Amino acid sequence: MADKARESCIVCQIIGSNVPSKKVYEDELVLAVLDVNGANPGHCFVMPKNHYPIIEQVPDAEIGRLFQVSNKISSAIFEALGAQGTNIFVANGIPAGQTVAHFTINVIPRKENDGINLQWQPKQLSEEEISTVELKLKEQTKNIGHFEAEEKKPRMQAPKQISISKEEDEYFEKQLRRVP
Amino acid sequence: MAEQSLSPESVKALQEKISQMSPEELKEFQKKQCVFCQIVAGKIQSRKMYEDDKVVALLDINPANPGHTLLLTKEHYSILPQIPDEEVGHVFMVVKALSNCMLRSVDAQGTNVIVANGIAAGQRAQHFMAHIIPRKPNDGVNFVLPQKSMEDKDIEAIGNKLIGAITGDYKDETKNEPKELGAKVNLDDISRILGAR
Repeated sequence: MADKARESCIVCQIIGSNVPSKKVYEDELVLAVLDVNGANPGHCFVMPKNHYPIIEQVPDAEIGRLFQVSNKISSAIFEALGAQGTNIFVANGIPAGQTVAHFTINVIPRKENDGINLQWQPKQLSEEEISTVELKLKEQTKNIGHFEAEEKKPRMQAPKQISISKEEDEYFEKQLRRVP
Repeated sequence: MAEQSLSPESVKALQEKISQMSPEELKEFQKKQCVFCQIVAGKIQSRKMYEDDKVVALLDINPANPGHTLLLTKEHYSILPQIPDEEVGHVFMVVKALSNCMLRSVDAQGTNVIVANGIAAGQRAQHFMAHIIPRKPNDGVNFVLPQKSMEDKDIEAIGNKLIGAITGDYKDETKNEPKELGAKVNLDDISRILGAR
């Protein structure tokens, strides 16, 4: 099952070099490639080499690394491509616009009037609605605390063999289908 | 977001003043001007969802969806490239945790994480923040990322430019301070925010 999911995952195929891509950064945990149909030229995908469908499954240390690399790429986009701005964008789950079941960070070069829209129409909520949301969310956020720290510095290295567990795939399947 | 309307003369005077500041003075100046630094300091009221020694999370007062949360650094950074690596790691571990909380509490079936660096990217405030937005089907939020195809030669050229800048960056492992480029974007943003609005 797990292998099947990996075989059908386009990102895992790119990481395994079975599908050609223009790689811009690679270390033992992270691969970044150019999106050849990007929102703007220079749009990059930053992905964990391990197969994690959504952000919740990515270990903290890898989260740290993934976003540090995204930040480096964002800086490189300013420096090398003369962008006026950059966006870091993540779609987590199908309602959020996720199309591939492999966690991916988009790093997008921006200029004025480039046709990209990451804005929203603010929703007007009543005082009661706001308080309800606040209480519900706080009930969860009070548990935030322990993070697994990252010790190692990133270093460039050849891709390694990856393995994924069955549970992870089932978790995403559930996410997709909203099975309780 | 500064809402002052200034005369062209005072904008010019201000720009002049800013351009002569040392990096430390500039940071202090920005901090005083920054609404989000006031929020972090508790001088402006907000609904805090999470707080530790480095970051504060609060409910967005103009939410895309109920539960939309902003994660701010306590330190004043204008954009992500100015934040030291270690802190970047921490910021996004908290982002992940907040996303998790949303899936468990506010009926979210997905989340978006958005960071805007620079006005052209949609940045409105001069203080770094990550938006974490709970999503469900047909919630009226519509982010548009067009697809633009690239020619093979551009893919190579742009890819290689990026590789050059990235590997150049990694050559010096000790380089962790705010970047030259960050300071430039910064200055520009301040004068534009103060001048244009």
